[in-house]
Amino acid sequence: MRSLFHHTRQRLAPILVTIATLLSVSQTIAADAERSFVVAPTSATLNGHFARLQLVVSVSSDGKTTTDRSSDLTRVVSYTSFNTDVVEVSATGRLLARGNGNTQVEVEWPATKDRGTEVRLVDVTVAGITPQAAIGFRQHVNPILSKHGCNMGACHAAQYGKGGFKLSVFGYDPGLDRKSIIRDRHQRRVNLVDPAESLFLRKPTMQVPHGGGLRLARESVDHDILVAWLLGGAPDSNGKAYEVTRLEVFPRRRVGHVGTTQQLRVIAHYNDKSTRDVTAWAKYDSMDESILDVAESGLVTASGQGQAPVMIRFGSQAEISMFVTPFAETARLEGWKNNNFVDELAAAKFRELGIEPSELCDDATFLRRISLDLIGTLPSPEVARAFIDSKRPDKRQRLIDELLGLTGDPDRDRFNDLYAAFWTLKWSDLIRNSSNKLGEQGMWALHNWIRESFRTNKPFDRFVSELVTAKGSIYSSGPANYFRINGNANDLTESTAQLFLGIRLECAKCHHHPFEKYSQGDYQGFAAFFKGVGTKNSEEFGLFGRESVVVVKAGTTGKATPLGGEAVEHPLDLRIPLATWLTGKNNSFFAQNVVNRYVSYLLGRGLVEPVDDLRSTNPPTNVALMNALSKHFVDSNYNLKSLLQAIVSSRLYQLSSQPTPKNVSDSRFYSYYRVKRLAAEPLLDAVDEATGVRTKFKSLPLGTRAIELPDAGDFYSNYFLKTFAKPKRASVCECERSSDENLAQALHTLNGDTIVGKVANKNGRVGKLLAAKSEHANIVEELYLATLARRPSAEEVAACQEFLATSPSPKECYEDILWALLNSKQFLFIH
Amino acid sequence: MSHLSQIAPKQPLTGLCCVLALATVMAPAAARAEYPMLMSLKPVAAQVGQTSEHTVSSRYNLYGAYRVHVSGQGVTAEVVPVAKPKDGKTPNLTSLKLKFTVAADALPGVRDFRLATPRGASTVGQIVIATDKVVSESGNNDTRDKAQMVTLPATICGAIDKAEDVDVFKFSATKGQPLSFHVRSQRLQDRIHDLQRHVDPILTLRSTAGTTIASSDNYFFADPFLATVAPADGEYTLEIRDVRFQGNGYWQYSIESHSRPVVETVHPLAVAIGQDVSLNPVGHHLGDNKKLSVRLAPGTLEGRAWRRLQLGPATSNPVHVIASRLTTLVENGAANNDAASAQSVTVPSTISGRIESAADIDCFVFDARKGQKLTFEVVARRAGSALDPHLRILDAKGKQLSLNDDFRRFKRLTQDSQVENFTAPSDGKYVIEVRDVHLRGGERFVYAIRTIPAHPFFELTLDSDKTQLTPGTSGVIFVRIERHNGFSADVELDIKNLPTGVTASCGRILANGTDGCIILTAASDARLDMQDIRVSGTEVQTADSKSGAPLTSVARPMQETYMPGGGRNHWPVDMHAVNVGSPAEIRSIKLSTQSVTLKPGGAATIDVEFERAPGFTKNVTLDVLFRHLGSVYGNSLPKGVTMDAGASKTLITGKANKGRIVLKAAKDAPPVSGQQVSVMANISINFVMKATYSSSPLMVHVAKP
Repeated sequence: MRSLFHHTRQRLAPILVTIATLLSVSQTIAADAERSFVVAPTSATLNGHFARLQLVVSVSSDGKTTTDRSSDLTRVVSYTSFNTDVVEVSATGRLLARGNGNTQVEVEWPATKDRGTEVRLVDVTVAGITPQAAIGFRQHVNPILSKHGCNMGACHAAQYGKGGFKLSVFGYDPGLDRKSIIRDRHQRRVNLVDPAESLFLRKPTMQVPHGGGLRLARESVDHDILVAWLLGGAPDSNGKAYEVTRLEVFPRRRVGHVGTTQQLRVIAHYNDKSTRDVTAWAKYDSMDESILDVAESGLVTASGQGQAPVMIRFGSQAEISMFVTPFAETARLEGWKNNNFVDELAAAKFRELGIEPSELCDDATFLRRISLDLIGTLPSPEVARAFIDSKRPDKRQRLIDELLGLTGDPDRDRFNDLYAAFWTLKWSDLIRNSSNKLGEQGMWALHNWIRESFRTNKPFDRFVSELVTAKGSIYSSGPANYFRINGNANDLTESTAQLFLGIRLECAKCHHHPFEKYSQGDYQGFAAFFKGVGTKNSEEFGLFGRESVVVVKAGTTGKATPLGGEAVEHPLDLRIPLATWLTGKNNSFFAQNVVNRYVSYLLGRGLVEPVDDLRSTNPPTNVALMNALSKHFVDSNYNLKSLLQAIVSSRLYQLSSQPTPKNVSDSRFYSYYRVKRLAAEPLLDAVDEATGVRTKFKSLPLGTRAIELPDAGDFYSNYFLKTFAKPKRASVCECERSSDENLAQALHTLNGDTIVGKVANKNGRVGKLLAAKSEHANIVEELYLATLARRPSAEEVAACQEFLATSPSPKECYEDILWALLNSKQFLFIH
Repeated sequence: MSHLSQIAPKQPLTGLCCVLALATVMAPAAARAEYPMLMSLKPVAAQVGQTSEHTVSSRYNLYGAYRVHVSGQGVTAEVVPVAKPKDGKTPNLTSLKLKFTVAADALPGVRDFRLATPRGASTVGQIVIATDKVVSESGNNDTRDKAQMVTLPATICGAIDKAEDVDVFKFSATKGQPLSFHVRSQRLQDRIHDLQRHVDPILTLRSTAGTTIASSDNYFFADPFLATVAPADGEYTLEIRDVRFQGNGYWQYSIESHSRPVVETVHPLAVAIGQDVSLNPVGHHLGDNKKLSVRLAPGTLEGRAWRRLQLGPATSNPVHVIASRLTTLVENGAANNDAASAQSVTVPSTISGRIESAADIDCFVFDARKGQKLTFEVVARRAGSALDPHLRILDAKGKQLSLNDDFRRFKRLTQDSQVENFTAPSDGKYVIEVRDVHLRGGERFVYAIRTIPAHPFFELTLDSDKTQLTPGTSGVIFVRIERHNGFSADVELDIKNLPTGVTASCGRILANGTDGCIILTAASDARLDMQDIRVSGTEVQTADSKSGAPLTSVARPMQETYMPGGGRNHWPVDMHAVNVGSPAEIRSIKLSTQSVTLKPGGAATIDVEFERAPGFTKNVTLDVLFRHLGSVYGNSLPKGVTMDAGASKTLITGKANKGRIVLKAAKDAPPVSGQQVSVMANISINFVMKATYSSSPLMVHVAKP
């Protein structure tokens, strides 16, 4: 009997889209394209020794323009240089400057049965070749070290370097790196008389043993550059610009199919307005290896369906190129009706990717899902019965408004306190409110402030402003505790950036952010906002408070710089302009960060993942939807309830969790509702609700719900919550609350005291139903409503009837049924 | 000896009550020195115009309590007689009924009270005088379904008396009805001697359906205040609990619950005495009362004063104003955020202003002559303002010359600010800059700046607030001086209003010292009595003194409190009680000499012998300093004179009753003629508190080298 409830509505295992579908896609794309081609760039200028340039050849229907669906011919065509003393060209279309002068490169597309040979000529000018190559460490050598992985954390940028040779992480400190190469160990690494014999070159070329293996070919251009650098005296700079201000990538977006290849071309823009083709030295990473492969040369191959970017890094900049490989040629979206703008933009993405969304979920599923998502609480059987039986066409919207406390009627807004409790729990985790750090009094002060903020639906910009500019007694002023949780400017910088911008800035504390534009200077500029924040002793709370008071110490302010912004100053408290900038409507990160988190809470996955890692190299899966939701959030004056309302009112949110064969491969675009495991606190509350037996938490009155627990410290510790991964609030990362299942959890629900004791409690739900002498059918219905918020199906009714007949007593029968329901996936998951 | 004076006993202060029936009760011979420490009063509020019965709880025995002193005017109290036990034994009574009578015109607010008992004067308790009838918590009202019905207006009284306690009250209100709830609870615990954990109340108002309408956590310090409007006709519940769900039987509260206007403060805060002054009240549910007129009687004392304002036909709750005889000026509303735009003012004066919004700064510019000495004192938080002022004095270009955030007065750090004895470096313009230290602002952020000439003066504090005497023994009051603006003279001490049968030997505070003492002696036939005394100090003028009357100051009593963790703290109170109780552990202390003369670098031994009460064998510690752990709270020894701890015998155990004090003078000790010193015999009551007996005065002289 017990196993009956264990297997329902599991997600189908993923299946592959049919080969036939794939074929039809590729045929369509090819038939549209194979008429002519274009070469980018149409003419080329190479400046200086070892200058290189990547040609990218694309199919073009009119011989002039390309689209994001144009096939790449870079490795299909052949190349010929008319003067190899001026420029050489490789079979992959890469030019190499050899001598000053002008010439042409011929690009030939061989004939097929449908058309003749096509040829394009590219004018090439080479200049700046001098008798002595002007090679600078910063301009040329550092990119080579990065390209070949020498300055990775796992190699010579490890804490103590490798083999006594230490480089800075990703070359953030070129001055130090150059010294390491040419000065350290009595200059043993370089031989300026015979550079090719330098240990610095013999090691990576494996002429002598090298722990990192072969990193550099002896006949390569990069080897030649390094030799030339040493020959030139190993200068730090060649006098030209080396600060990269941005990267330009071609193509920025590519739509193809599995097997599509695309050569990328990367141009670096420098602070002196000059540009340089750096395709050969850029680093390439696939952001989803199940969809894309990318070679060191910048050649991308689509290996799976979906959407993923390639990240390109050079200098201190990073950029992406987006690749889309649709699941099907078209998506019909039968029966789809937009409830609001969320649906319009979701549908556009479905059409782009050829995804058919699932159907709407039924009312009972919706009720349970939205109750758990918005207030972290199961609907009572009475609420479930009323909602399921209601014939009102607008009942879903009415329910949304009631759960969010938006009706304006205090009696209908009766869930508002649960809403506040549930979202206080979420944000308390992130802000890391814990008695372990704050003591009991400070923890409660912060908790009460957060809870009151959510109860009153305080605009989120105000919430954040109050937090980051908090002052006063840590007992009287809840948000002041933020400055105890984060006890120094570095902690405040990193926490604030990650919590409210979704930017992980900690890398930039020690070196330039590897995937972002942020430097140590940016980090320090941001950290300066918190300079001068300190504490003094006071009795604002009362004689016995003797608490710390957060103050900005006079005379310690100056200038600070927002991320990507201009320096600001304030005579008294730099946190004031910080709050203004942070929550300003021009700061897209602020709204996007919240939107992304809330999308992930409701739809099971953020538009950006990880949810607190927003950056240009980690774009949203649906940019338009991110932008629209962010605009909605900003336009509503950062009204969180309005944001929640917009999302849960959408058809997208209300889709069935059952995938279809046409969308089962989708894991990113919300074509079906992603089931989520109940978090520890809502789960324990759900068990309490279902069994009718409340958990008594130490030092809190009976009736206090798990979602209302203020603390994650040891004060209110509970074994069930600990087992189900209630976080200790040690990290600002969303990932601290693990959603992974484990054996202890399974054993605890199956055999643990918590559920067994509550099910059998004589004052519990079963006990009361039996005491009231309820009929069998009513008892079974009540148990289903209390656990799954739905009535049992005919098969389930029959199974329960049969189980009653074989049970030793009705009491055992109903306790077993309740136990089985509590252990079912339908109960343990939001679906 | 010439500076000592014998003070005759005076008549009791008005406003004291006594229960004559118990006045002659004498405790048994071996009575303990543990004086009662008041822990709570239940209910903690009494209504004006009513007589009501309350239960006071204490640590240590209240039996035999016979009189109650209440601070201020209009409130009296008496002890409800307790039947004598039939077995003749002394009961250990830790709760007692008191009957408070509050005049109809008594000023609402908080009053101190104290009990006289044969075991000594109690510590100070507090009672809330409220306008509305008092409703006490009754029965189990811990959940909404068991909420206790009350009718507003009411002063709801109860206790968060156990862990996880939530007290729920239910009342009816109509749509649009103004509601305000003012909780006093943690503030009532400031004076409790030995309460290791303190309440942190939080208040929640819910609708019939249980939806939170409003809540308040910390408004007046840790106490909540909530003002709202009923959103619909119906029943509402009001919940009060400790934020942490802790509880304690001593955690009493009152919630003044009504629909009347509540005035928190006024702007301008300073009111010229004897003039009609227009004020803007700041508060809740004020309706059309945007501007009020007030006039302080010509005899009003300068400084903070409670006043009730006329709000239409009704009077407001008492609110602080700053009574001033100086020129009163008001911030004029023009931009004055920096030195360049500062508003011109004259000094001396009292300037009223308001930090109107977040990060607002107010600047006032005045002229001063080179060498002119001025003191600038901001009164804000002490007068009920939300402002935590940050004060700077700038030159005309905005350069900072002086800064103060919090300043200390009567041993306590205030949230207000003061720049004292500022000396203008040259003729010219100077700027007073005021802001909130946390850059907050709003209508509650009012202030008054008193700018006065920085004349020398001094302030005195008493440690502590009560002196326990028994017949035939002596006690000691230590008086500490804070010197200001160059005051450097000796101060002669004086005491008034002693109980019958008590005499005083008043010492002095030497110019190079910080403490003096007054030794009180109860006659061997002195009867039970308790009086609130008044200690003052007078400048001892010399040939170098400026002409004119000598400066005087009245001392402020400081009640000692046992802080969580074991520290000793002080809280300023209005009353210092001298109590004559029953004979207790020590019956007399005798010194081998009443006068010692020390040569610089020399030493002198004073043998001490005391009489133990029969059966009293606890440790007694002798000392000449009044101290706890590493801190000294009273030291009247002349400069350069110390007690030689190694040579002295101060710990007297068991039945022993003899010890010695060895005083030594440093080689550079300045000469002194006859400084009064007390040799104390201390008996521990708890980790911090002790019963202290004094010897008769020991006069210490330091001879010239």
